[in-house]
Amino acid sequence: MTKNFSTPGAFRLEFKAGSGRHGLPCWLAIPTELDAGRPPLVAVHGIRRGAKMQAQQFGACAAKAGQVVIAPLFGEEQWPLYQQVVRKGRADLALLGLMNDLRLAGLWQSKRFELSGFSGGAQFAHRFAMLYPNLIKTLSVTSAGWYTFPDAEPFPYGLGIRDGRKDDWGPQMESRLREFLQIPINIAVGALDGDCDSNTRSGVEIDHQQGANRIDRAHQWKKALLKAAQERGLPLPDVRIRELPESGHDFAECVKKGGLVNFVLSNREAKKPKSSANRDAKNPSSRATLPSEIQTINM
Amino acid sequence: MLFQKVNSVELSHSAKWAFTTRRVVHEDVVGLTTNFVDAKTGDLVLARVEKIGSHKRIQLTNGRPSELYRGDLVVLVCGSRYAPDQYEGHAKIDPDGSDMLAGGGVIGVMRAANKRMAGPTRVIPVGLLCGRDGNPVNLADYSLPELTGSRNLTVIAAVGASMNAGKTTAVASFAHGLSRAGYRVATIKATGTGAYGDYNAYVDAGADYVADFVDAGMVSTYMEPISRIMKGTEILLDHAADNGCEIAIVELADGIFQGETAALLNRSDFRAGIDGFLFAAPCAASTVGGCSALRAMNIEPSIVTGMVSCSPLATKEAEAAAGTHVVKRESLIDPVSAGALLARIRTQKKATEGTLGIKSAEQAA
Repeated sequence: MTKNFSTPGAFRLEFKAGSGRHGLPCWLAIPTELDAGRPPLVAVHGIRRGAKMQAQQFGACAAKAGQVVIAPLFGEEQWPLYQQVVRKGRADLALLGLMNDLRLAGLWQSKRFELSGFSGGAQFAHRFAMLYPNLIKTLSVTSAGWYTFPDAEPFPYGLGIRDGRKDDWGPQMESRLREFLQIPINIAVGALDGDCDSNTRSGVEIDHQQGANRIDRAHQWKKALLKAAQERGLPLPDVRIRELPESGHDFAECVKKGGLVNFVLSNREAKKPKSSANRDAKNPSSRATLPSEIQTINM
Repeated sequence: MLFQKVNSVELSHSAKWAFTTRRVVHEDVVGLTTNFVDAKTGDLVLARVEKIGSHKRIQLTNGRPSELYRGDLVVLVCGSRYAPDQYEGHAKIDPDGSDMLAGGGVIGVMRAANKRMAGPTRVIPVGLLCGRDGNPVNLADYSLPELTGSRNLTVIAAVGASMNAGKTTAVASFAHGLSRAGYRVATIKATGTGAYGDYNAYVDAGADYVADFVDAGMVSTYMEPISRIMKGTEILLDHAADNGCEIAIVELADGIFQGETAALLNRSDFRAGIDGFLFAAPCAASTVGGCSALRAMNIEPSIVTGMVSCSPLATKEAEAAAGTHVVKRESLIDPVSAGALLARIRTQKKATEGTLGIKSAEQAA
């Protein structure tokens, strides 16, 4: 499927099949005027696997800057637990393979890429970034059901080692926490996303660690990131959080009513992080933002 | 002494040029001399195969092996060799018959052989290849140039308990893992004898920059002055950085008691340039002994691996007795654990520099 536009923000939407049996397919939003030197946006779907919508929704705004959007499609059979990144099928290796293929195809040349995810995709995104901080320019997590916290709880809740494991993922993430905390991070959650549903992982322990619902957990995760930096004597990380207005647990709603695209992509104008944990509260528009018309999708 | 003109085009086609001669421009060769008495390490030698011994093939400049036949003309490089599993040989040319000391293309005179080895392939020297100035063509003339300016590289030195401890496998695996994790990685062989085995293993691993001491003008580092080896290594590291690499894994040949390797490890200026050490050992006892010897040199290996890691029982013994963690090859190859190992090395280095009050490259930048 291909559409061409000559106006700024014009892009074509393409589906790329996975290469080989274990290759990861994706939807691509390729700007008419592609700037391959600009870090691409990798936008990861939730458990409904709406990869095409990810590419569509971010496509126009990204295309204005010549930025390609890569929306991987983690099939249910091959990557049933892609959210946890290192479970069956190793979703991380699949994404690395896809990014290599797309680099060879000339779609991107930068050292790092921007990583964004919604719901289950947000889970994937932050865990991938914790494992490969060297690859990530900015991280955006929207409406994650739960997080890996930078604390001593056993992985995947924290960075601790699970009973009976010798080499666990948590300690490996811990090794890279210093780098991870240098990544500008956007946390978003629908302001109306405070109810738990059947997909929300709940229980006494996780609720105590992370909060009872997605809104609480988003705030708790931000606090945990700042605390982890403080405890390690590191500069405060550049983390901002936004409750998206009039939005529940629905990606399209978060885009249309909540201004999610603007929030995620405004990072490109970001300046050097300030060492203030209260920056967001005092000045929510501390970073340059893009015009609101970007929410219009020209498809 | 005889000087005889040669046709370089004809020589290119009629002789098998060894891998160690890969940097030489064939058109520079205009003649031959039989002044073998003055032959020195690095000189190119045209020789004829007289008797096929243990090296039945020669490694060519294009990276493939070529079956040797009696009567073949070969271009080799005069050099020494130190290989406990094979030969010790010196950089001398005996006009009545010399030895092919390494398949990569080293000619010299064998001094000692491992009992498991057959005799070396014997060659009759035809002459030293000469340039337009009448002097022998020498590898040193083809070294990569020195570069100026600072470099920002994380340098990991790979050493082993012995030859065949698993160093090259570990280096290639780690380079592969880091490369998959998105890093630009250089793999460099800083000491040893010229051959393409390790070189090709690095290339196959996906390293972004591959070089060895031949690229710094040496056919072998055995019996070379340490200052020259240090300088050669610096040149290769500078070129790795110039090629955009952010990590360099530098393999030192043989075991940690080999002369040049031990001399390098004992030098504080060499150690200061290394961010972390990878140590490969074949068994539990050598892990314990090697770690102990390294610690005596004020070196705490960041990664302990090698053949020992193939055996769960040997790993258990080594970890208990050496007080270390043995890293499996799978962990070196996996991009997640390779990245984590790198992060730990960088953190340890930063902590050491902090203790010693040294400013790290990252801080300086």
